[in-house]
Amino acid sequence: MTAQERPARRVFAAGTTIADLKEYMEPFAARLGYKFNTESEFVDEVLESEIEILERDGDVFCPCRVRTGDAKEDAKIVCPCIPFYLDQFAALRKCWCGLFIRTDVADGADLIGVIEEAESGTTVEVPVARLQDIPPSSARHVKIGKRDIAVVRVGDEVFALSNLCRHAFGPLSEGFLDGYTLVCPWHGWRYDVRNGTTDHPNADVATFPVSIRDGEVLVSVTVGRAH
Amino acid sequence: MNVHLYALSTCPYCRMTKKYLDENNVSYDLTEVDLLEGAEKDAAVAEVKRLSGGTSFPVLVAGDQVVVGFNKGRITQVLGL
Repeated sequence: MTAQERPARRVFAAGTTIADLKEYMEPFAARLGYKFNTESEFVDEVLESEIEILERDGDVFCPCRVRTGDAKEDAKIVCPCIPFYLDQFAALRKCWCGLFIRTDVADGADLIGVIEEAESGTTVEVPVARLQDIPPSSARHVKIGKRDIAVVRVGDEVFALSNLCRHAFGPLSEGFLDGYTLVCPWHGWRYDVRNGTTDHPNADVATFPVSIRDGEVLVSVTVGRAH
Repeated sequence: MNVHLYALSTCPYCRMTKKYLDENNVSYDLTEVDLLEGAEKDAAVAEVKRLSGGTSFPVLVAGDQVVVGFNKGRITQVLGL
């Protein structure tokens, strides 16, 4: 196992340094199609603030947002918060504060400063995984905003459909693949991953367009509201 | 025009905004929300949510205009700098 593949241990003891945070966060962001901003002084300033917050509040909460005391809400602002705002950040090409930017952004300077929600209703291609991270003939669950989506790889093709079986809301991503057919793990309802159709009447599930670019799997959705 | 800045003591954009306002001799009221406690903090968070629709900082209120983040272009515009 190379250093790149080794799972990072999340230890935030007293004395955590900027280098520790970088080493820990970088691989997580990379898996979702993000990298640290190219403005390295800005990155260090944000991470320094996070260390201050870690020492005061016990975790690396986003320096740009406030804890409300609601544990569920507060969990969504622990850095990196990318998974909670996949559609919003894909549209903005950065996380709220600009600490992370999309991998293909050459210069992140212009993305610093502005915090604006993407307009809801616009369509955006959301990076959900690297192709190399999804084994052939397997499925995984991805949450984009409020949507539960099953991302399914068949050979070198990838499809995206609603994760919820129309029968009893079984998690399709935990089902079995038979060619292009995804079989619900609960009662065996069968869905064609290419178009979401099933042999039960009026029970097709929604599908989402998928493209693969530079090894990234991108799912197209309309942007929902962040708050 | 009454200018009010809701900020966090830890937030880089808040520091940039304060610096920019100071450099331009803008006088403003400052609330550092993370340094408040109890009911006072809850009230400030609720006010920020009402003004900006979220909990991202800084939130600059100038008259009836609200700017979220260190959006230099918009800040310059709403303050007429």
